Amino acid sequence: MLLSISWRNIWRHPARSGVLMMAIIAGLWAGILVTALTNGWIHQRFVNMIQEEITHVQIHHPEFLTEREPWMYIQNKDEIFRFLERDERVLSWSARTLTDGMIQSPLTTSGVQIRGVQIDRERATTTFHENLTTGDYLDSELRNPVLLGERLADKLNVEVGNRIVLTFQDLENEITSGSFTITGLFRTASNPYDERNVFVRSDDLQDLLAGEVVFHEIAILVDREELSDSVRTDLNYQFDQIIAETWYELSPELRYITDAGGNLIVYIMAVILLALAFGILNTMLMAIFERMRELGMLLAIGMSKLRVFVMIMMESVILTMTGAGGGLLLAWLTLGYLGEKGIDMTSMGGDSMAEFGYDAVVYPIAYTNDYVTTIILVVVTALLAAIYPAIKALRLNPGEVVRE
Amino acid sequence: MAIITTQNLSKIYNPDTIPVHALRDVSLEFEEGEFTTVRGPSGSGKTTLLNMIGGLDIPNEGFVEIDGTRITGMKDRELINFRLNNIGFVFQAYNLIPVFTAYENVSFIMLLQKREKSEMKERAEELLTAMGLSKKFDSRPKQLSGGEQQRVAVARALASRPKFILADEPTANLDTDSAMNLLDMMEKMNKEENVTFIFSTHDQRVIDRARRVITMVDGAIDKDERKSPPSKGESELSEQGDDSLS
Repeated sequence: MLLSISWRNIWRHPARSGVLMMAIIAGLWAGILVTALTNGWIHQRFVNMIQEEITHVQIHHPEFLTEREPWMYIQNKDEIFRFLERDERVLSWSARTLTDGMIQSPLTTSGVQIRGVQIDRERATTTFHENLTTGDYLDSELRNPVLLGERLADKLNVEVGNRIVLTFQDLENEITSGSFTITGLFRTASNPYDERNVFVRSDDLQDLLAGEVVFHEIAILVDREELSDSVRTDLNYQFDQIIAETWYELSPELRYITDAGGNLIVYIMAVILLALAFGILNTMLMAIFERMRELGMLLAIGMSKLRVFVMIMMESVILTMTGAGGGLLLAWLTLGYLGEKGIDMTSMGGDSMAEFGYDAVVYPIAYTNDYVTTIILVVVTALLAAIYPAIKALRLNPGEVVRE
Repeated sequence: MAIITTQNLSKIYNPDTIPVHALRDVSLEFEEGEFTTVRGPSGSGKTTLLNMIGGLDIPNEGFVEIDGTRITGMKDRELINFRLNNIGFVFQAYNLIPVFTAYENVSFIMLLQKREKSEMKERAEELLTAMGLSKKFDSRPKQLSGGEQQRVAVARALASRPKFILADEPTANLDTDSAMNLLDMMEKMNKEENVTFIFSTHDQRVIDRARRVITMVDGAIDKDERKSPPSKGESELSEQGDDSLS
């Protein structure tokens, strides 16, 4: 009964209710779109970082990440490899030989991190190889192949087929260098990363660095992200002389971004709905003022105050939820399209986002949770906005208003 | 036994600023099946008296009893529930729910009473038909004339099977035909179903049809007159004196 009367009351003034609904539709559509855009950015950043480089868990010498000395390699690597091969939680792993050094072209030099990778294992563990834009991956038959970021290649004024020299400190603290042939160029979402990293085969780097098989890093991809903690704990418990860390320990900023993104919908929607709350309040107040006599009559003939209160609250909720339904539907349809096509932000200065490691083409994502949160916030807003008009209605003296 | 008793009712509006004595020491009794009008000039206290009897206003002094239950001093929630089940209201401005059809307006009060669906349907159809609105079940108030709207309001008031109906200036907005038609309907319900009607009015057409006429002046009962039974064909009033209990 109350539902029916509330619904019909909303449509007494179709234009007024319609305008408010349009405002709600536009507000929620924009709010969800902005949230989805940011979600997309964060998700892509997360995927880029986890899938292309960090993976879920990494193992290092306990001091390697702070000191980055070549001799700080993983001593008990064979035992760890065996453990990883046996562990069902581990999807794949890849060992890396790392060192810092200089890259020299005929034109200039630059400081770089030299990353020696196991070709097949790296390909199975990360998606870095998908970033190759020119040339071949490291499985070239050429001696000492190297991959450079496009930006670094530009800076050094080199291209595929050219040779560069990598100079670094070996395990004996002697300066050593080697000539490498550029077989490919890559481009990731992060410009700084592309300028600072070069990729070589771990075997080639080990020959120059140590003359033996040394690895400074083991990157581990687990079956599900939630398993990261337990794998990290077990590795630290089982093995001395190493430290295993999860992705969020290795990259706290990534965790911060991911966590902050989770609350984003609440902040954006809270601002939008706060503005809409005044619209709802205004509409409901107008509805109450022009129906004073009718509400007085309802109280006079025996409709309880609770029912009158619920009826007004329901009107507000139905009015708001009808608009919200439209907004959510529109957002869902828009995201269905944009989620596939992506939004190319290049022409809107999106390229500068790459300086911070974010993609220029964003694929907006709205999670189910975002829709649920929005619905909850909309209902709460509608209820809060209707409390004052409903209380006004309850304060009516039916004897007076029916006479007026 | 009287179904309504008011004892020494007084009402003063704005007691702290400019006091207005809306009712002064009003004591009355109404028997079941009465067809009574309360008449008097504007500001004489007619509507205030009806509001007191209907539990829509609270007296400063005195009390109202309905069928032995003292409603003065009842809690708000109890009073609303009491009104729902015991009193029917007809207002000057009809006060129908504009988004409901005539049928729904009549059924609504029975919904509040949580009556059975079949009973609601039967009662609403019966009352609307009795009011000459059998073809207007699905019409909304806007689609009805003033007279038709007021007849729906009477049907609504009767639908809850109240002990009595309070009608505040029910014919004030109606033309003569509509007013007479409405009065016919109410008189018919009064005679056939023994429904008690109490009107406040200035309308001579209503006063002429009433069997008891209470005249109010300045918040007090000036006259309380009863007509001879209509079966005798008499229409003159038999005066019973000021403020008298009939």
